[in-house]
Amino acid sequence: MEPILQVENLTKQYPDFKLDQVSFSIPRGTIMGLIGENGAGKSTTINAILELIRKDEGTVTFWGQELSSNPKQIKEDIGVVFDGINFYETLTPAKVGKISAAAYNQWDEALYHSYLKKFQLSPDKEIKTFSKGMKMKLCIAVALSHKPKLLILDEATSGLDPIMRDDMLDVFLDFVQDENHSILMSSHITTDLEKVADFITFIHEGKVLFCKAKDELRYNYGIIRCGAALFEQIDKSEVLAYRKCDYQWDVLVADKEQARRRHKTAVVDDASIDDILLLYVKGEQV
Amino acid sequence: MKSLILKDLYNIGHNAKSMFFMLLVFAFIFVPFSGPEAYIIASGILCSMMVMTTFSFDDNSKWMKYAMVTPVTKKDLVASKFIVLLIFSIIGVVIGLVIGFIGGIIVRKVDYSNMSDVLTLPVVAVVGFVIAEILGSMSIPLLFKFGTEKARTLSLVSFIIPAVICFGVYEILIFFGVSFTDQLKFILLCCSPVIALVWNLMMYKISYAIFSKKELLY
Repeated sequence: MEPILQVENLTKQYPDFKLDQVSFSIPRGTIMGLIGENGAGKSTTINAILELIRKDEGTVTFWGQELSSNPKQIKEDIGVVFDGINFYETLTPAKVGKISAAAYNQWDEALYHSYLKKFQLSPDKEIKTFSKGMKMKLCIAVALSHKPKLLILDEATSGLDPIMRDDMLDVFLDFVQDENHSILMSSHITTDLEKVADFITFIHEGKVLFCKAKDELRYNYGIIRCGAALFEQIDKSEVLAYRKCDYQWDVLVADKEQARRRHKTAVVDDASIDDILLLYVKGEQV
Repeated sequence: MKSLILKDLYNIGHNAKSMFFMLLVFAFIFVPFSGPEAYIIASGILCSMMVMTTFSFDDNSKWMKYAMVTPVTKKDLVASKFIVLLIFSIIGVVIGLVIGFIGGIIVRKVDYSNMSDVLTLPVVAVVGFVIAEILGSMSIPLLFKFGTEKARTLSLVSFIIPAVICFGVYEILIFFGVSFTDQLKFILLCCSPVIALVWNLMMYKISYAIFSKKELLY
């Protein structure tokens, strides 16, 4: 079955930054997490995917079609949430609903009001009276109420407290219960992605370092914590990245069980996505 | 495109009361001293300038980036700004006409029993509408090109350029011995909405050329 979104060799050159040959695809019914440090190229990737910026090279297809080939219909099926609300603050959710209803043929007013109720958002209160979390909930309600098949979330959960984030993650998990739905979710809060993502694409300095199933990272990746003597003995071909900490070396490996067998005296911890990100960004890559 | 227009009307609607109050204050200044005709034109121009405020709201909420992920095209977005300008210009001259007429009667600048007095005001309203449309449409490409802050400063250009063009054309016609008879003035008056339309189409093309090349990072 063709993926919902396929990105191939996406390239965008700026004077001081290059998004370089980014490729990944999102199968149906899955959540793809896009991770990377600030400025790594996550938002540039999303902007290029949505044709908000012109790409220099590469192809992006939604359901096998380029966005420019049938923009109005394809956009009906894509819900997008950026990191802040894009409606002026004197509007109310009721007015936002009317504006969105005029924009989308697929708009479902009853569904929108059910989300407003679920998120405890008063339809007649001005947006400026909402907290950041409430504003994001409103954005998500709008994005879901035109019945999209693909949700694109650019740092949508950043700035929310853990309880609010957890509520949102439940909504996203609900959304992908339908096999024809998928989510592309960029975030630097990797714990969120650890909870919900099926795949992780890691972008660093404009390049994709890896695109893997989250479970592969969770169950296979590990960190060897060792002294200098053991570090010297480790076969560098099994090392992905390493970092010298105060009193030890942290060494990222792709197969922690193999590392445990080979280095019985060393401590080999499970690697969280945060650990992997830190070691790739702040450590040395082999 | 309906969503884009609706959004601007809702955004501006929030300022409607203060705008109406300002028009009333202007009525006290313009009608007694410069007459209802000047007030109608001023009201039209003032309301047409509200299109600049819509850009300011858009910038504030990063609307344009969001609008482009909804099922609208860049052409729709540019066209919507010209339609919003048209709506504001009409509202401006209609309010100007009503307040100007009533104010004119109160300060005895309009004699409602004199047909010529009464008919002059709608004609002035058409002229005011044309001026508001021409000046307002000039500011739209500037707003797309330079953003709200710089365009505010440059908006003076949108007043000066059409004025210079009109004055230039007027001088050329005088130079070639054309005299502005009542008949010619009437013809020009009838043609003025067409001139405004052509001008708007030109400004739309320029605005679209600018906006189509724009990358929407924010």
